[in-house]
Amino acid sequence: MSLDAVKLGKDILAALNGSLTEKWPDVKDYGEAEAKKLAQTLVMIATLKATGKINKEQAELHLEMQKNATRMVLMTIEGLGVLSAEAAINSALSAVKDNVNTEIGFTLL
Amino acid sequence: MMSIDRRILGFGVFLVSVCLVVTLALSSCTVKLVSGYDETTDRAVTDLQRKTEAHLVTLESVEGLPECTYENHKQFYDEAKVDINVITVRAAAIPKNDITTQESQLLASQLDNLEKLHKIACLSKDQITLVRTHFNTSFTAILKLELAKRRGE
Repeated sequence: MSLDAVKLGKDILAALNGSLTEKWPDVKDYGEAEAKKLAQTLVMIATLKATGKINKEQAELHLEMQKNATRMVLMTIEGLGVLSAEAAINSALSAVKDNVNTEIGFTLL
Repeated sequence: MMSIDRRILGFGVFLVSVCLVVTLALSSCTVKLVSGYDETTDRAVTDLQRKTEAHLVTLESVEGLPECTYENHKQFYDEAKVDINVITVRAAAIPKNDITTQESQLLASQLDNLEKLHKIACLSKDQITLVRTHFNTSFTAILKLELAKRRGE
């Protein structure tokens, strides 16, 4: 029996990379799209205030809604990141399990 | 001498803890850092999104008319408060669901702010456009995370 630590390490790394990079494009696209929207609404709030179409109190409420929306986007990105990490960990664990059990010859893990 | 002993003991405890965690993780096969997908939350948030959009469409149709005032639309705010409270309480009851719980609380804050805006004055089409974007972003954030919890189901 010979467990190759170097190979095992490479298998784990491949599993980690695969899981993380698979989810990143979706998160990136989402983040970019929402950032663009938020920038546009910020400009609109400023314009409405500058042109007198909304007063100070209304502008502050819109800004507060803007901030809340931004917070929620960031929280979702954080959540997607945690889910990605979870998937990566489970992939790595799975890679370790299969190799270890094969080398040992029985189901240890 | 005493501090070195303490350090060695501390490191030993740390090492044993790491080994235990790894063993437990390996023996339990999978790790779960976030709660699973909750269909009830998905539906409730989607229903509230539909109600909110219907409210905004109504406000657009009565812009500048006497029916635009807050008093004529109080029922929406009262019902929405109940809906969001139900969503928040459920989210908080699910383990490892902190982010969704916090997002539900922020959504409640969005509704409060909309109500305050409406109490000040009828909303113009420009303001409704802004509010719609705020809410679309907010609802999308909650739903996107909830759907991602499906994990290939």
